[in-house]
Amino acid sequence: MSAELVQILEGNTFVVSDDRGDIEASATDPTGLFSFDTRFLSRWVLTVNGERLTALSTDDLQYFQARFFLVPGTGTVYIDSKLSVIRQREVADGFHEELRILNHENEPVELEIRIEAASDFADLFEVKDALVKKGSYHARVAGASLVLQYQRETYIRETWISATATAAIDESGLSFRITVPPHGEWSTDLHVVASEGLPGESPAAPVGIRGQGGRRVREDMARGLEKWLGRAPRLECDWQPLELIYRRCLTDLAALRFSTLTMPGRSLPAAGLPWFMTIFGRDSIFTSLQALPFTSELAATTLLALAERQGTRIDDFRDEDPGRMPHEMRYGEMTAFEERPHSPYYGCADATLLYVILLDEYERWTGDTKLVRGLERAARAALAWIDEYADLQGNGYVSYQRRNEQTGLENQCWKDSWDSISYRNGDLPGFPRATCELQGYAYDAKMRGARLARQVWKDAAFADRLEKEAADLKRRFNRDFWVEDGEYFAVAIDTDGRQVDSLTSNNGHLLWSGIVDKSKARAVARHLMSPQLFSGWGIRTMAEGEARYNPIGYHVGTVWPFDNSFIAWGLRRYGFKEEAAAVMAGIMEAAEVFAGRLPEAFGGYARSSTRYPVQYPTACSPQAWSTGAPLLLLRTGLGLEPEGDHLSVDPALPKWMGNLEILDLPGRWKRIDAFGRGRVDTDRLTCR
Amino acid sequence: VAVPAVRNGSVDPVSQFFASLVEPGRISTFEGESASLRFDVGSGARRERWRVQVTDGEVAVTRAGTPADAVVHIERPHLEAIVTGRLNAQAALLRGLLTCEGSMAALIMFQRCLPGPPGSTGRVAPISSQTVTEGRRSA
Repeated sequence: MSAELVQILEGNTFVVSDDRGDIEASATDPTGLFSFDTRFLSRWVLTVNGERLTALSTDDLQYFQARFFLVPGTGTVYIDSKLSVIRQREVADGFHEELRILNHENEPVELEIRIEAASDFADLFEVKDALVKKGSYHARVAGASLVLQYQRETYIRETWISATATAAIDESGLSFRITVPPHGEWSTDLHVVASEGLPGESPAAPVGIRGQGGRRVREDMARGLEKWLGRAPRLECDWQPLELIYRRCLTDLAALRFSTLTMPGRSLPAAGLPWFMTIFGRDSIFTSLQALPFTSELAATTLLALAERQGTRIDDFRDEDPGRMPHEMRYGEMTAFEERPHSPYYGCADATLLYVILLDEYERWTGDTKLVRGLERAARAALAWIDEYADLQGNGYVSYQRRNEQTGLENQCWKDSWDSISYRNGDLPGFPRATCELQGYAYDAKMRGARLARQVWKDAAFADRLEKEAADLKRRFNRDFWVEDGEYFAVAIDTDGRQVDSLTSNNGHLLWSGIVDKSKARAVARHLMSPQLFSGWGIRTMAEGEARYNPIGYHVGTVWPFDNSFIAWGLRRYGFKEEAAAVMAGIMEAAEVFAGRLPEAFGGYARSSTRYPVQYPTACSPQAWSTGAPLLLLRTGLGLEPEGDHLSVDPALPKWMGNLEILDLPGRWKRIDAFGRGRVDTDRLTCR
Repeated sequence: VAVPAVRNGSVDPVSQFFASLVEPGRISTFEGESASLRFDVGSGARRERWRVQVTDGEVAVTRAGTPADAVVHIERPHLEAIVTGRLNAQAALLRGLLTCEGSMAALIMFQRCLPGPPGSTGRVAPISSQTVTEGRRSA
């Protein structure tokens, strides 16, 4: 199989194939047509007269569309082909594929075209973990369609395959006997539909879990992308790469948009492409926050969609509590049979806190008090969760510990790998764990909840109570988490109330939340910009010198662009404008190296020792919150801050960036332009 | 609403569940919501119907067959499992144990009032630092 993979998608339907457009998946191989977390095609192979084809070139036309230029034969020697084969594929409720055969000869040519098709109907979780299927397979020819079916009890999934040209259909594919005239062309449209196989269902009318969603035609998609780009504020900058980075972010954000079943006309950001094209509480909220100055639609939909699925009961399998916001939603077979808890799964300690933060930030930008009033119940339930369900140790701090010990998540903060939270000596704390950034988010959620209560919900008593609780939390936090001899905040406190004392980037999130005492902020900022944490490209997740530090360890030394964007916001909040500009400088220059598309994380090697940031290998690209990072850094660089009905602008940009202007920033002020000139010498800090 | 909670001489979980919905202040999670759902349970002569009308958070339950935003088709044993928390409604939907005609949003809203699994306590025993660190060392 050709090494290079091509992927296209729309919503949570996506196709991963080789560069010929063929799919030959094994049980654990991530190629195929996927929809709603299920593989609907694991084999899709084109032959001409029994021969496989060779790719001349492949174009990713749009994120939902690809074109493959092919010639018959698989020889490595150059062949003067008499035929060209063009496959153009678009994702829809499955996919459409236009197949064209061009005859370059003066004679007509007779050909047998064959498409082999099969499906293993694997759940995404099975593809990841190589599990064995429990149901049975069946293929049938129904009229002019080949129907592949998988059934386990009442769970049925089907793939319907048909063509516009007359085909001989059997249970493993479609054949076309054709004659192509001299210098002529033959074509057919192949249509593959992923279906839930409900009684009475035909591909023309998919019902069931799909609802009205997922059936946009290709013209709509192209127009939708144009409209999306056209609506976005315009950016101009003396530093040319920034325009490319900005456009890349907008296009990737468009691809990452995801419509829920209940709100087909609206979209929210999914977490990553293609494996995380679903609702993730944390990722959707962080990305919505990053994108708010440029588009508020993602935030509004995220707030509505999460409220719909907000927890209402105690469910240990799903780690659900009343008021808790969902972590991840899945639709595959293992979720259906409750072998996985993602229906949805709630094991996440920060999304509920971040929800209130996003709701407030959304109102500050948009003035949309109608939505904020409509979500009052959800926001109150989220705030109640903090004290009633999240204080697992009864010590006044938000903690997490999974109750689903088989398939639940052990670490329910954004640094969710097993070794991310450790003492300086490398030992790991027990559970429950009260990580520091959760306390910051809880503080901010209460402060912002108080503002909403006072200004929108007109409940001054509730506002007073929240502010009092927040002040008390801040006082205790600055006492209990402050590592006296190191002058920074411990990453967590453990079950004995002892500090988990490694130095991490979480300190930056604390600045963002506002929980840090003014008297301690300078020391925190100094740590963040020290050679132990700041690599020159960005701030590492964990400081060099800690026992578990590793420059290519997932959460123990790599640099995460998303993390840095929020830290820059935090630095600005406490007045450290030059430091924020240096973070912006490092991450934007890294973005330039990655051609505008920042990876989820890159190596924590010092910039002085590596000329280029080293990409950390990850499955998903683009990743939503990495895509959002440059957008948030534009906000912090220009110092954009809503103040009543005005947008204040207070730029602090890297000198080498020159002039930067963003035109038509939307908000409660209608549209506003923001200008800035680079004046901060960031080169010393970034080792440029 | 007088709903018989006894069926075949024992307490019927389905009747009991629908009766509980109309208790004042019982379902705060519907606050501000409006939607209607009809549950068509079983088929043929044995089919029974439950119609839930939510109007600005106020719940009314009838046995009427009038149209609703969402019409849910389900067999009785599965509905019994759902209203007693033994079966998750979303999982049942994905599995084809229930189907929904009309508004998916109405169904998603409705599932908020369903109980959690019977054995769920919301509690779990703490794990010490030593256990975690040594567990990882030996792994």
